[in-house]
Amino acid sequence: MAIKKVLLEKDHVEGIRYYETYRREGGYRSVEKAFKMSPADIVEEVKKSGLRGRGGAGFPTGMKWSFIAKPEGVPRHLVCNADESEPGTFKDRYLMEFIPHLLIEGLIVSSYALGSNTTYIYIRGEYAWIVDILEQAIAEAKNNGWLGKNIVGSGFDCEIYVQRGAGAYICGEETALIESLEGKRGNPRIKPPFPAVKGVWERPTVVNNVETLAAVVPIINMGGEEYAKIGVGRSTGTKLISACGNINNPGVYEIDMTISVEEFIFSDEYCGGIPNGKRLKACIPGGSSVPILPANLLLKTAKGEQRMMNYESLSDGGFATGTMMGSGGFIVFDEDQCVVRHTLTLARFYRHESCGQCSPCREGTGWMEKILKNIEYGKGKMSDIDLLWDIQSKIEGNTICPLGDAAAWPVAAAIRHFRDEFEWHVLNPDEAQTRNFGLAHYADELAVTA
Amino acid sequence: MVKFSEEKLKEVSELISHYPEGKQKSALLPLLHIAQEEFGNWLDVPVMDYVAELLNIEPIEVYEVATFYSMYNLKPVGKYMFEVCQTGPCMLRGSDDIIAYIEEKLGIKPGETTPDGMFTLKTVECLGACGYAPMMQLGKHYREHLTKEKVDRLIEECRTNANSLN
Ligand SMILES: Cc1cc2nc3c(=O)[nH]c(=O)nc-3n(C[C@H](O)[C@H](O)[C@H](O)COP(=O)(O)O)c2cc1C
Ligand code: SF4
Ligand code: FES
Repeated sequence: MAIKKVLLEKDHVEGIRYYETYRREGGYRSVEKAFKMSPADIVEEVKKSGLRGRGGAGFPTGMKWSFIAKPEGVPRHLVCNADESEPGTFKDRYLMEFIPHLLIEGLIVSSYALGSNTTYIYIRGEYAWIVDILEQAIAEAKNNGWLGKNIVGSGFDCEIYVQRGAGAYICGEETALIESLEGKRGNPRIKPPFPAVKGVWERPTVVNNVETLAAVVPIINMGGEEYAKIGVGRSTGTKLISACGNINNPGVYEIDMTISVEEFIFSDEYCGGIPNGKRLKACIPGGSSVPILPANLLLKTAKGEQRMMNYESLSDGGFATGTMMGSGGFIVFDEDQCVVRHTLTLARFYRHESCGQCSPCREGTGWMEKILKNIEYGKGKMSDIDLLWDIQSKIEGNTICPLGDAAAWPVAAAIRHFRDEFEWHVLNPDEAQTRNFGLAHYADELAVTA
Repeated sequence: MVKFSEEKLKEVSELISHYPEGKQKSALLPLLHIAQEEFGNWLDVPVMDYVAELLNIEPIEVYEVATFYSMYNLKPVGKYMFEVCQTGPCMLRGSDDIIAYIEEKLGIKPGETTPDGMFTLKTVECLGACGYAPMMQLGKHYREHLTKEKVDRLIEECRTNANSLN
């Protein structure tokens, strides 16, 4: 079934990266339309669209925008979160690299809606060449009157600046991002006050993900109600999924959220199945922070229903038998992969990225890595598995920012669903160095993987 | 003496102008990137002090930031830095083998630099290229879909470039 694309519809048009082509293909229409509306009307359209934040938390964007404080005489800022550092996630990069003007267009409309005359794109430092692409797009937009003073006669002024980070996952967390934008270490702030009241330089600030802000363009063009007709239930619109791991066609896909996980993995239109005739073992469907699921629970919910690629279906069953949509970083494991080893790399990642402010996160991530390393390298004990469980449970909910939870969840889910694989490592320390535990029962009752 | 060229100083004032009056500290991260590029690919203390002076902030404010972010090098590094991603999604596609192969080819471990000062090997965490794994960052760009053959060619390429620069 062909799906409606509203973000990547034109990504293969030659020259779409540049202004002339982008404009010829209908670009910047949403800005013209927006200026005929009031900022409040735009917020209303975004509310009607049902758009939920694409950065991972899925918070309704229109509602977030309506919270921004408007004290007299205090400037407000929109900040675009292009920090994209959650393992498995590379969708924002694709959008910025290939259709940079879509983001710039979305930023202009959103800046107008929020009253931001100076808007920042905070981009991860490693995406250095994308900074050049964005700056070129901004210069082109400015030369054509879409930025600067009195944009196309609207009376609205706006500048967009790109700020480069310097390698810190935590700066994707919005208050850490704000600290970093102020030229400080990326230590998350205690909330309240929320950024909508006191953000960058104590001014009201809205932080939104790249994909969220790009989606504002089709929402204004087609109207919020039309946009809401794409997708299903509270999962309206389309979602970019970055697919990686053991699949035939890794890459970025725009899906409408009515397709099943099974179709997404096995159809040639998307991931194209598992290479080398291997079988599907497991998947982390929403970036490294969300729970891993074994193949059987991934494709069907505990109720035996088809699992779909949308917010509700992916989280069906809670953490006991479900997972989350997260950032859309879709990581696929074939039967040769070791869940313990993969979890170890994630524990190392979170230990490395913890800002160190809260002891449960700082100490807990270090301990989890250490214990996982022991188990993976054949020096683990049975009691280590319970200890690991205990540590993760003490991090969750006890920290300033959600990185603590994000570090705990992958470990919890790995033990919850793959405990026998951990035990096998403890019982067969030598064998575990050369051979993998394999599929065990994780793919039982699967018709499609043969 | 540590000092930017006129041209770089212009870039610095342009950067500072992106932020409100009195909030010039916001330009710290971008300035440290420029300083690192200009002064030998790492941030020596006099370089950090110079940046503090340019922004009219205390040196400690610069040290705090420089030590927090992984892209700032606080020690000299090789002319070419291979920053190979080792996180889960890359691991699923063979990054362990690529890292081992580079270690063997260059005779160094992650964190080390070859005696001729040419190469530094660094393992890094997810760079947002998981679908094009295994991968590394080399300077400003990513090298993706790495194989042993590609690593061989990359090393050759760096050596050739270095020779032509001399
Ligand atoms: C540790 C951590 C890392 C995050 N990284 C990102 C990121 O790289 N990009 C992003 O858009 N949101 C990230 N977020 C979520 C942001 O805090 C914030 O919710 C988001 O930018 C809001 O935008 P949205 O509503 O458009 O999704 C991260 C959150 C946490 C706790
Ligand atoms: S949870 Fe971790 S990353 Fe977040 S503020 Fe605390 S120590 Fe820092
Ligand atoms: S895991 Fe290596 S680039 Fe993401």
